[in-house]
Amino acid sequence: MNAEPLKEHLKKEGATLVGVGDVTKALTGEIVHLNRGIALAVNRSLGSETVEQLVKLQRAAEIWLKERGFRSLSIPPDSDRIKGKLIARLYKLFSHKTAATCSGLGWIGKNGLLINKRYGPKLSWATVLTNAPLKPDSPVTESLCGNCDLCVRHCPSGAVTGSIWSRREPFKKLVNYERCRSLKTNRRLFEEKPNCGLCVTICPYSRKGLSNKARSGK
Amino acid sequence: MADEAKKKEILEKLRNGVIQYDEDTCKEAAQEALDAGLDANEAIFDGLVSGMEEVGRLFEAQEYFVPEILMCADALYAGLDILKPHCKQMDIGVKGAVVIGTVEGDVHDIGKNLVKMMFDVAGFTVYDLGRDVPLDKFVEEQLKTDSELVCLSAMMTTSMVGMPKVIEKIKEKNPNCMIMIGGAPTSKELADKWGADGYAEDASNALKEAIKMVSFLKKLRDEKAARQQ
Ligand code: B12
Ligand code: B12
Ligand code: SF4
Ligand code: SF4
Repeated sequence: MNAEPLKEHLKKEGATLVGVGDVTKALTGEIVHLNRGIALAVNRSLGSETVEQLVKLQRAAEIWLKERGFRSLSIPPDSDRIKGKLIARLYKLFSHKTAATCSGLGWIGKNGLLINKRYGPKLSWATVLTNAPLKPDSPVTESLCGNCDLCVRHCPSGAVTGSIWSRREPFKKLVNYERCRSLKTNRRLFEEKPNCGLCVTICPYSRKGLSNKARSGK
Repeated sequence: MADEAKKKEILEKLRNGVIQYDEDTCKEAAQEALDAGLDANEAIFDGLVSGMEEVGRLFEAQEYFVPEILMCADALYAGLDILKPHCKQMDIGVKGAVVIGTVEGDVHDIGKNLVKMMFDVAGFTVYDLGRDVPLDKFVEEQLKTDSELVCLSAMMTTSMVGMPKVIEKIKEKNPNCMIMIGGAPTSKELADKWGADGYAEDASNALKEAIKMVSFLKKLRDEKAARQQ
């Protein structure tokens, strides 16, 4: 099934990037039938407005699929904040970054984030899982971080270990999240905004994006 | 009182809201039910719960899978949250304390929560242990709270086998406490076989049974007290 019309539709609705991945390998029993992951990204940091925008895009995808007789399950961008709902138990079964690499939209950087060639790690993501047999894009299998180690050297909590991701070893430990988290907790005592996010801004792919605007593609 | 056509329409909307896992429709219909003066209990059981029954059938027919079921349950709860505070508080003369929970290995708690709600509106004191409750916890909690009644819920043939074990232990520690079981795979026959004192097939009958049981216990106690004087 051709995925282009859906991608066009979602881009018109405001998505920066849309990809379709075959996510079979990453699924557990409860959701095995939903083996296509639609990865949605917008080019802005994850604030409440971004969440709203991504959720709106997810609705648009759900409606498009439903009209054609397919099932869907949306994993919201802020999946960890949704409490008290039964469906939230399923959210932790799937990560947005998985959908993104499977859809060919980027690799996992040394900083543990999804790095897109054009926008770097600056994107915010959401996923819609579906049973529609959409033609998948080809997955990204290797990291393109190369010799760069800016995020390793500049992370204020020393959380980024420097290991390199590949699809063969997708869960290799890249970031010591305890450290990253503890920095945030400490900062919260002094600052309004607890986010550090240095590993986002420091990444050269974040900046390359600006100068490469003319270059088309992903 | 709402006229019949309007009432039917609202109940249908509640039912469909659950079946189509549409939280917004459920909330809207729940509010309409209240505005139209429908009885909240009726809206819950003939609307929301009747929808969940259909969902059960769709699940068995493999039309629905786990994600849909969970979303349907979220829709049911969205409506329930609005309707529950408007359930008529009943004054039934008898009051008692109940320990309730879904047995070990079983996470189905929608039915159990409805039974609990009926006890709440009847003014019972309810100790809710939640779902997937270790069998010994029922025994401990009963002793701790000295409740007259213990209610066990199970929705699977695999989990209901824990019930006779709990019943035996409670009866051993406290023969005066009464036990009621329920949930789709259980029956009056099983209740009798396992030595439970009561069984009910749905939430409103569960309350009726409970009232009977608590009244009976009170009567026993009074008689005993009279004899001792
Ligand atoms: C919990 C969480 C955190 C926690 C802990 C992170 C963790 N992984 O434990 C904390 C609070 C520390 C955190 C921090 C941040 N986070 Co955060 N976080 C999340 C959240 C809610 C869940 C992540 C999670 O636990 N996933 C489960 C684990 C198992 O998977 P994972 O590590 O995410 O990803 C692995 C798989 O995808 C796998 N993989 C990749 N491809 C494939 C393919 C196959 C076939 C398979 C099997 C696997 C596989 O590789 C990945 C790395 O090992 C996600 C939102 C979401 N629902 O995904 C956002 C998310 C990951 N966070 C995000 C962001 C932006 C941040 C911060 C920059 C926030 C900030 N400004 O400070 C920092 C960055 C820290 C860092 N260097 O990673 C973004 C990432 C955007 C991007 N470009 O990648 C996300 C996606 C939110 C969003 N909706 O956009 N975060
Ligand atoms: C919703 C649901 C789920 C939800 C539960 C959400 C939740 N928080 O409760 C989720 C998706 C999590 C789920 C998971 C599973 N489920 Co399920 N689920 C159902 C479903 C569709 C509906 C149950 C329900 O809520 N009904 C609506 C309520 C209102 O009705 P009720 O529970 O019967 O309660 C009423 C009465 O029974 C009574 N009552 C209930 N408790 C008590 C207690 C007392 C004391 C009394 C007096 C009365 C009483 O009063 C209630 C109100 O009137 C049923 C199908 C069905 N037809 O029942 C399957 C069903 C129960 N599930 C089943 C199975 C197998 C599973 C899973 C193993 C997953 C799977 N492979 O499909 C897991 C089990 C996980 C676990 N360890 O428990 C089977 C059980 C088969 C069996 N072995 O007997 C069923 C029967 C479906 C089927 N035919 O396959 N499930
Ligand atoms: S968010 Fe800050 S502390 Fe966490 S990994 Fe990135 S740079 Fe390090
Ligand atoms: S800063 Fe360098 S090493 Fe870190 S993610 Fe970006 S490209 Fe990779």
